Amino acid sequence: MYLIKKSEVLNIARELAKDHLVYGPVTDEATGQVLFDSLDDPGKADLGAPIPTIPPKNVVFPQMECIYSYRYDKNSRAVDIRQVNAVKPKALFGLRSCDLEGMRILDRFFLGQEFVDDFYLNNRKKTFIVTNTCIAPFAQCFCVCTDSGPSAKEGFDLNLTELGDEYLVEAGSDRGKALAEKLGLAKADGSYAAKKTAAVDRAMDLFTGFAVENKAWVSRVTNRVTTGFIKEDVWEYIGDQCFECGACTFVCPSCSCFNIEDVNKNDGSTERLRSWDSCSYEGYSKMAGDHNPRKPVEDRRNKRFFCKLSYSQSKKYLRPGCVGCGRCAWVCPGDIGLPNVVTYIRRETTK
Amino acid sequence: MNYKPGICTFCGNGCGHFLRITDGGVGGVFASRNHPVSQGRLCVRGWNIHELLSTNRRILEPMVRRNGTLEKVSTDEALSLSMERLMKYAGESPDLVAVLASPRASNEETYLLMKLARTVLKTNNIGVDSDSGHRSSMDVLHAGTGFPGMLGSVKGITKTEFILVFDIDITKQNPILGSEIHRARRGGATLVTVDSRETQIARLSDTFVRTKPGSNKVILGALAKILIDENLVDSAFIQRHTAGFEGFANLLGSLSYDDIAAKTGVGLDDLRDIARKLAGAKSAMAFYPTGVSGLDSDMIGYLFNLFLLAGKIGCENSGINPVTGLNNLQGAFDMGAAPDLLTGFQPLGDSKAAAKFGDVWGVNPPAKAGKAPYAILDDPAGKLKAIVVMDHDEGIVRYAEKLKSVDFIVYIGAFENPFTEFAHVVLPVASYIETDGTYTNTERRIQLSRKKTEPASGVLPGWKLFSAMAGKGGAKWDYSSAEDVMKEISKLTPIYSKVNYAKLEKSFGIQWPCDEANPDGTESFSLGSVNRALNFVTLRGSYDVPAASKEYPWQLMVGKAQHYWHQNNLMKITKIPLREYNATLLMYTQGFIEISVADAKSLQVRDKWPVKVTSAQGTMNVSVKVSEEVGDGTAYVPYFVQDMITKFLLVHDEALKYGEDATIPVRIEKV
Repeated sequence: MYLIKKSEVLNIARELAKDHLVYGPVTDEATGQVLFDSLDDPGKADLGAPIPTIPPKNVVFPQMECIYSYRYDKNSRAVDIRQVNAVKPKALFGLRSCDLEGMRILDRFFLGQEFVDDFYLNNRKKTFIVTNTCIAPFAQCFCVCTDSGPSAKEGFDLNLTELGDEYLVEAGSDRGKALAEKLGLAKADGSYAAKKTAAVDRAMDLFTGFAVENKAWVSRVTNRVTTGFIKEDVWEYIGDQCFECGACTFVCPSCSCFNIEDVNKNDGSTERLRSWDSCSYEGYSKMAGDHNPRKPVEDRRNKRFFCKLSYSQSKKYLRPGCVGCGRCAWVCPGDIGLPNVVTYIRRETTK
Repeated sequence: MNYKPGICTFCGNGCGHFLRITDGGVGGVFASRNHPVSQGRLCVRGWNIHELLSTNRRILEPMVRRNGTLEKVSTDEALSLSMERLMKYAGESPDLVAVLASPRASNEETYLLMKLARTVLKTNNIGVDSDSGHRSSMDVLHAGTGFPGMLGSVKGITKTEFILVFDIDITKQNPILGSEIHRARRGGATLVTVDSRETQIARLSDTFVRTKPGSNKVILGALAKILIDENLVDSAFIQRHTAGFEGFANLLGSLSYDDIAAKTGVGLDDLRDIARKLAGAKSAMAFYPTGVSGLDSDMIGYLFNLFLLAGKIGCENSGINPVTGLNNLQGAFDMGAAPDLLTGFQPLGDSKAAAKFGDVWGVNPPAKAGKAPYAILDDPAGKLKAIVVMDHDEGIVRYAEKLKSVDFIVYIGAFENPFTEFAHVVLPVASYIETDGTYTNTERRIQLSRKKTEPASGVLPGWKLFSAMAGKGGAKWDYSSAEDVMKEISKLTPIYSKVNYAKLEKSFGIQWPCDEANPDGTESFSLGSVNRALNFVTLRGSYDVPAASKEYPWQLMVGKAQHYWHQNNLMKITKIPLREYNATLLMYTQGFIEISVADAKSLQVRDKWPVKVTSAQGTMNVSVKVSEEVGDGTAYVPYFVQDMITKFLLVHDEALKYGEDATIPVRIEKV
C-alpha cells in the first residue's frame, strides 16, 4: 500500500501516458456528460466525476471494428488477408469497480473458453488498469447487490481509494507495484487498511438511502430466473415495454454479443467489420429458413435476463452477469432497466 | 477525446447523441444524457447511425449521363452543364422547372436551394419530398392559432394529464417521443390510443379503441358532439378566447349517434368515456402523424376543434402536436420550401414580406405562386422540363413513368440512391457531419450540428455547392460559412430572428418563435402570446365511411407509419437496422397483406400462403401475413414494399390522398 496526495494523483495517469494510450473519465464541456474516453491530456481525467455514461467496454471491444481486410484475386484465386489491428498498449485510469467486473466477464467470454478471440486479445493485452473506489454511490447504483463494488477486489494493477486529501494506492500486480515504486510513492502504514475498510463501509451504508427496492432481491430473482418459474404474463408485461432499441446491451459493461459483416470497399478490398449486436433485435436470433426461436419480444427480453441473472450463467462466468452499474435504467425507452425487472419479478413472487 | 456531441438526423425527434470519431471516420455512437429531448435514449436507428455515417456507399464524384450511362466529370463541368440547361428551360418559362427540396437537408441548405429557385431560376415551383401531411397540419394550426408548428413540446409530455395518440404507431415512427408518452403514462397521465391496428402504444395505453379504417373523422366528430351534448365544453374558454364555435356546433348536427358504432366499430360508451376524460383533465395533448402517410387537413381540423372545445389549446402542457417523421421536415417548411410560402410561413402573397426578401436578395421573388413538384407531376396536363431533386426518399417513385418524360433531372445527395437512375446530372454534397448546419425538430427545436469529419476531396458542403450553382447562373453569393447563411435567415424570418450560432452552440437548441419577445425561444404555444381569437377551423360535414360490400368485403389499409422506414433509402445502406427492418419483409418476398386470425381461418389460408387481392381497379397476388394487429374484415399492406404492390396501389391514387386514413375495398381469395 502506498499514498499519494490528491493534488498529485493525476501524475499516475501522466506517467502511464508515456507508453500507453490512456483512457479515463472525462466531462464533455458542451453537454456536461461524463464519458470514459481517450484522454488527449491525462490531466483532464476527473476521478471525482460520476460514473461515466459510456462503459469502458468500448476500449477493449469497440462498437465497430475492422478486424481484418482481404482482397480476392479472381484470376489467381488468391486471397490476401491483412490484419489491420496493431495497437499500442492501453491504460484505463479511474475505472469503477463495477466496470472492472464487467470487463472480467468479457475476458471470460472472449478468452476463457474453448476458443480465444484473437481480436479481443489484441485490444485487451497489456492493458494497465487503475481502479477508483466509490466512496459514495451514485443514484442508479446497486453494485452491493451484485457483489461488484464499491471497491475492486482483484483484477487491477493499482486501486485508488480517496481518504481525505490523499489517495490510498494498492498494488494488485507486479507492474502496478513497479509503477508505484517508480513514482516514488510513500508507503502507507498498516492503519490504512482499516481506514479503507471504514470508507467502503460508509459507502455501503449510503446505499440504504436509495437502493431499498432492489437490495437483496437479485439473488432471489436469480433463483426464479434459473428455475423458470416466472409467469408468462410477467414477461409479457416486460416485453410490451421493450422498444427493441438495443440500448441495454450497448451500455452494459458485460454484454458481449456482436455481428460480423463484410463490407466491400471502393478499392476492391473487403473489410470484415465486427460490431455490437443486441439480443433485443428480432433479426439477431433469426436463423436460415425463417426460423426464429425467439421471435416474440418477450422471449428476447427473457433471454437477456437469463444472461444477467441465472445460475447457469454465473457458473460459467464465476459471477452474475449484472454488475450493478444501473446504466440500462438510464437509457431504456421503456421502463425495464434491470433494477425494474428485478422489482417486477419480485412483485410477482411476493404476491 | 473521441466522442463528439451532435444530433441524430433520422426522424423528426432530433435526439442528442455522441459520435465516436477516429482517424477521420465514425466508429460508434452513444446517447446524450443531458439532452432535453432524448435524455439518454436512442432508438434502433439512432444506436446504429454510425453504420450509415461510415458507409462507402456514397456519391463522391459529379456525374453526367452520356449515351445512357452516368460518367464521372469535374465539379465545374457538372455545375456548368446543370445551370446552363436549367437556365435554358427557366428562360423558356419558369413554370417548366421545379425544385424538390429535402426534408433531411439542413435549414441552411434548404434555404439556399429555395433562394436558388426563386432568384436564379425565377420559379416558385418548389416543394418538399413527403410534404403533404405536414403542410396540411401547418395550415390548420396557422388558421386556428397563427402558430404553424407543434403547439406543445416534448418537455410538457410528462406534465400533462391526458394524452391522445391518434392513428400513429409512435413507438416505431418516433420511438423516443413514444417513450416519453409511455413515461408520462407511468407517471399517472391518462393515455388513450385510437388506431385501426393494435400497436405497441395501444398495448401500453389505459384505453385503446380499434377503429374501422376510414372512420377517423367520425370518431373525432363524435367526441366533439359528445362534449357539446353533455355540456362538457369549456364555455368560459370558448367565449373568451375563440371564434367560430357556432359554425362547428352546427356542422356536428348532421352527425347522428345512431350509426356511429356501426361506422367506426367503436361503442358510444367508449367514446363518451374518452370525451369525459379529455374534458375532465386539466391539461391534454394529442399526437398525430404528418408526412407521407399523415392525416388529411379535414381530420387535423376536427382534432384541433375538439381540443379547442375542451379548452386544451394555448394553456399549459396542452395542445395538438403533429409528429414529423423526418429530421428536418419542419425546418424545410420554415425555410420556405413551398410554392406559396417564404421563410417562417410568411405568405409569398404578402407584398411587404416579399419586398423585404427583394431588398436582401437584390432580386424580388417571383410574385405568382408556383406549384409543388408533386402537384405538377400529379396533374395529367402538368408540364415539366427540368427538375432538381435533393436527397429523395421513395415518394417520387410513384411518378416514375412521368419522370421519364422530363428532359433534365439533377440529383443532389450524399448517399447512393436509386433515384440516380433517373438523373442526367448527379452532384455530390457533404453529409451532415461533414459541414455545419441546423435542423428543426418536431417540437420546433432548432439545433446546431457541427462538422466532425472532412468531406472527401472535391465534395462541397451544401452552402458552397448552392453558391457555386448560383454563380454559374449569373448570381453572386458570398457566404463564407453555414453560419453566414443563418445570419441571413434570421434577418428575413421573424420566428428565427434572434437565432444565432453562438446561442445554439451554448444550448441544446432553441424552439421557435425565437424573436425579440422570446429571445430564448418558446416552449409551447400560449394564449398570452397572441393578440387574437383562436378560430374553430372550417370543415366539411360529410361523415361517410367506406363501407364493405358483398363484392369487396375487406377494407384494405395502406402504408402505415411503421413501415415508413422500410422504404427509406438511408436504412438500406446500414447493416443492423436493415436486417431488422427486413426481418419481416424478407419472409414475404412477394410482399404481404396482413389479415386477422379469424379471416385467415375463413379463407382457409395459413401464414405466407398466396392470395389474390382484387379491388374495383386492379388485382395483385401476395402472401398473407396472419396478425393479431389488424381487426376482422380489415387488411393492411405496407406502401411501396414491392413493385407489384406499388403497381397495384398506383391505380388507387384517389384513395391514397387520405394518407393515414386511406382505405381500398377489396376481395381476398385463396389461390
